[in-house]
Order: sequence, then structure tokens, then C-alpha cells
Amino acid sequence: MKKLLSLLIALVAFAIVGCGGGDKKSDGKGEPQVLNLFSWADNIDPAVIERFEKENNCKVNYDVFANNEELLAKIQAGGAQYDVIQPSDYMVATMLKLGMLEELNLANIPNAKNIVSNLQAPAYDPTGKHSVVYTWGMTGIVYNKKYIKEAPTSWNDLWKDEYKGRIILLNDNREVIGMALKKNGHSNNSLNPQEVEAAVKDLKQLAPNVLAFDTDTIKQKFIAEEAWIGTMWTGDASYTYKDNKDIGFVIPKEGATIWADTFAIPKGAPHKELAEKFINFMYDPKVSAQNYEYIGYNDPNEKAAEFHSEEFKNDPMLKIGRENIDKGEWLTDIGEALTMYDRYWTELKTGK
Amino acid sequence: MPKTWRSHVLCAYAMAILAFLYLPLLILALYSFNESRINAVWSGFTFDWYLALFKNRRVLEALTNSLIVAFASTIVSTVLGTTAAIALNKYQYKYKSVINGLLYLPILIPEIVMGLSLLVLFSQAHIPLGKTSLILAHITFCVSFVVITVNARLEGMRPELEQAAMDLYATPFQTFRYVTLPLAMPGIVAGALMAFTLSIDDFIISFFVAGPNSTTLPLYIYAMVKRGISPEINALSTLLMLATIILVIIAQLLQPQHISKKEE
Repeated sequence: MKKLLSLLIALVAFAIVGCGGGDKKSDGKGEPQVLNLFSWADNIDPAVIERFEKENNCKVNYDVFANNEELLAKIQAGGAQYDVIQPSDYMVATMLKLGMLEELNLANIPNAKNIVSNLQAPAYDPTGKHSVVYTWGMTGIVYNKKYIKEAPTSWNDLWKDEYKGRIILLNDNREVIGMALKKNGHSNNSLNPQEVEAAVKDLKQLAPNVLAFDTDTIKQKFIAEEAWIGTMWTGDASYTYKDNKDIGFVIPKEGATIWADTFAIPKGAPHKELAEKFINFMYDPKVSAQNYEYIGYNDPNEKAAEFHSEEFKNDPMLKIGRENIDKGEWLTDIGEALTMYDRYWTELKTGK
Repeated sequence: MPKTWRSHVLCAYAMAILAFLYLPLLILALYSFNESRINAVWSGFTFDWYLALFKNRRVLEALTNSLIVAFASTIVSTVLGTTAAIALNKYQYKYKSVINGLLYLPILIPEIVMGLSLLVLFSQAHIPLGKTSLILAHITFCVSFVVITVNARLEGMRPELEQAAMDLYATPFQTFRYVTLPLAMPGIVAGALMAFTLSIDDFIISFFVAGPNSTTLPLYIYAMVKRGISPEINALSTLLMLATIILVIIAQLLQPQHISKKEE
């Protein structure tokens, strides 16, 4: 009898502690402050976060999402009280339209001025007041120098017949159709049905030569040399290059898609001040030097250059150059036209 | 002659099915010992990924979250499910079959519908998403499984045992404590283990109702895959798989039919 009662009490006590644990922490009153970060997995150097926690006597809860739509759904449902989120470029535009982002108090984020000037007010956030660029890069052509002796210069080079069965394109309708639009000298956000149709026609010609439409395991396929040439993001190219030194990367002369993941604060964030402090901290030159070396993406922080290692500065995959940034074009919200892109994309992938 | 020929074919067919089911899991486990960080090439044997895993703060946090949620929801759903099963088994009342059906419904409903409806419920009721909402959601689907397992055990129990206890002047509580509960215990433990396994493995419902500071292991693995598959994920999945298999085996051994056979 006694044994049973004490067991029951222990169980109930455990259940209460277990349930209550979450509440206490997200409340943040009296206890050390809490910052709820919602980001991509493995997107920030853990040592950097630990330093921020120590300096500000707070705890950073790092939760992860796998794609922008998931992030949008979570914020839209309400109830999830995140302080800092990391939407990609087009998602910033969508969230702005829906009024879901808090205006940043840039006076609290003086380090945002360290960001390269042409990334300060990008097309998706024209005032630059609701988001700051975190990781960014461009979509270019990745190729293996062992099999492809002459470096590609144009998107047209993907169409060469000798690469049959060795081409990988990203598994993304806007990226792939946008690439073909760029090849033909149009905007990658084209709303003109004739331009899009012509681009898709070219892609249908290319499709039989394509090994795969792949985003998630594209790096593995290039390291293992299953694929010789394809479209890839700069950050992934840098990752691939570390394991296979035959990898080369070029931004074609026609220009290319430029993209970014950002920091933003959702409306109603419970700890806005700490969130701004965190964002500011991330752009401290020394901190960002350490952080970008860890994650292996281009550092948008101009002041950080002197703190970067030679190896990082000379990484051929990360050298984009200002002229290419200026030739880059952001993917913007194309509204209704997206159904047209989706339809063509399905046709393309099903080989109709 | 034809008999052996037929049995050979059948045997090969069964083997092929087993290979189809388990080969991917074996390959996943195998590559967790691969030296290269690329899944495509085998370059040598190493335990490094397991070591790296236990130094990774995010992984440990996700593991802690998973365990807290699993323990809390197991305990609550076992208590609720056991009492519900006993009541359902013992008493006759109106609409019994309806109530029975309602209890089994969460098992039949597509998880995605349940996740979505729970998310809507939480946001309507202004319950902040986080560990609390996650635990509540897990209790909801675990209860049904506990009821089913405990009920199966109770149905195999003869009512004479309880009646005999009452005949010997045991109070209702004593009867429950010294007769019903011990007899039902294997079913309860099996139900609890089942609930624990389901909670640890759940992805779809958690995906909808998780909030700040409540990323569980399955959610973390999913997000990591999108970022590029490293053998660390293989190692993590292998451990999760092992834990699940062990729990399921224990639960199977405690299943009522096993025990009653032994007792008879």
C-alpha cells in the first residue's frame, strides 16, 4: 500500500516536473533570459552561441526547421514564440506581405553596417529594415576538371551532348527555369509566358541528358564523381571542394540567381531586445570571422576580412566578386505566375 | 519432389522480402562506421561519428527533449489508459461500444490530420507551442495504445479471481491492489513500453506541435538531412533504431498471449 502510494506520488511529481519544465524556461522572468532561435540545422557555430550565452547571461534555445514553408506555417499558426528566425530571401518577401515581421531597430544593431553595401537593401526587403543578410551566395556551374578540360563560361555549356547522363540540376522549379531564362538573356523572375515557354522548351531538350534533379545529395554525387557538371550553390561548392580538389565553380557570364538566408524577428517576439543584441553580436567582425569559417559560407561582413584565415580567404569556391553580385538577380515573389512555373516543372520532371 | 522445389521457392521469396525490409536499415547502420563523411564511398572503419555525436550539444539537447517528452507522456498515458481499460472492461453502460470506438479512433486517424487538428486546437486555446503542447499531443495518441494492450490482458483474465478475493473479505481497493493490478501488470508494462516507443519515434504530430526548446530527435534528424547527410545522422539513427528494437522486443515478450500461454 505504502509502496504503491509513494510510487504514484513519484510518478505524478515526475510528470509535473516534466510538463512544467518547458513552461518555466519559455517564461523567462527572474530566471536568466531566454532567446528562442528558429533556424536551419547546423547553421551557426556552437562556440559562438556559447560565447553569446556567457556574455549576456542567457540561454539560447536553438530549434530547427527544414524548409521555408515549415517556418512560415509555424509562425502563421501563432503560439510558437520565437525571437529570431532565419527565412530565405523570397520568404522574407512573403512574410513582409503578410505583416509577420517586426521592424528592426537598427540603432540596436550597429554592426549591420558591416555588411557589404550591395547586400544591405536587397530586392526582397527594399528598405532593409526587416531583415539582415546572414548566409548568401549564388547559383553557378559546378564541374569536375578531370572530365571537363575547358572551364564553362556560359549556361549554354550545360547543353553540350558529351555530358549526357552526367548533369545534375537543382531540384527546384524557380532555380532551374530561372537558369534557363538567364541563359536566354531574360530575368529569372520573368512573367512573360513566351519567355518562360521558350526556356522550358530548352530545358526539355536538356532533360534526357540529366542524371538527376537533386538538392539534398548533390554534394555526394559530385564528390563521388557520379556527376561531372551541374548547377550548385556556392556554399555547397565549397563543401564539395574540400573533399574533391578537382571541383571547379563558375558564375556564368549571363548572370545568375543570388540568394540569401537572413535574420529577422517575427511579430510579437517575446524578447525583441535580446534578439537584436544577438543579431548585432553575430556581425561583430571577430565573431563573424569565426562563425563563417565554421559554416563555410561567404561572409557578408566586410570588416571581418582581416580576421579570416588565408585558407578561407583563398577558397576559390567562395570568391564571387562584386561584379558577379551586381550581375546577380534575386528570386522575387512572382504571385500568380507561380502556377505556370509549377505546371512546366511537372511536365519537365515527368518527361512530357 | 515438387514439394521441396516449392518450399525452396517459398524460402527464397521470404528471404527476398526480409532483405527488402531490412537491407536499407543495415546499410544505414554500416555507413555509420564509415570514415569518409560522404555516404557514397566506403573508406575505412571508425567510431568517430558516435563520439562526435555525444559532443554535439544540439544532439544532446534533442535527446533530452525526446526523453522528457517520452517519459512524461508515457507515465500520464499509462495511468489514464489503464484506468480507462479497467472501467471499460468491468462495467456495462450505455453507448459502451461508441466510447470504445472513440478511444481507438486516434490509432486509425491519419497522423497528419491529428497533428493539424491539435495545432489548431492549441492555437485556438492559446496554449503556447513547446514541450507542454508536445507532451499533451503525445499523451493523446499514446492513451489509445495503452487501452488496447491493457484491455487485451484484462479480457484474458477470469472474473472468478476477483470474486474469490471479495469472498474472502477483501475490500474493493484490496481486490484491485492485490488481484487485479498484479494480473494486469504485464499488459500495463507492455502498454507503457509501446507508448514510450511511439513517443520517441513520432515525427508527424511533433512536427506540427513543437515550439521553442522542444526539437526532438526525429525532428532534428529530418532537419539535418536537408542540410547534407553526414555519417553522424547514420550513427544517431542507428542508436535510435537499436533503442526502439529493444523496447519493442520487451513489449512483445510481455504481450498477454505470450504470458497466458506460459501460465496455462
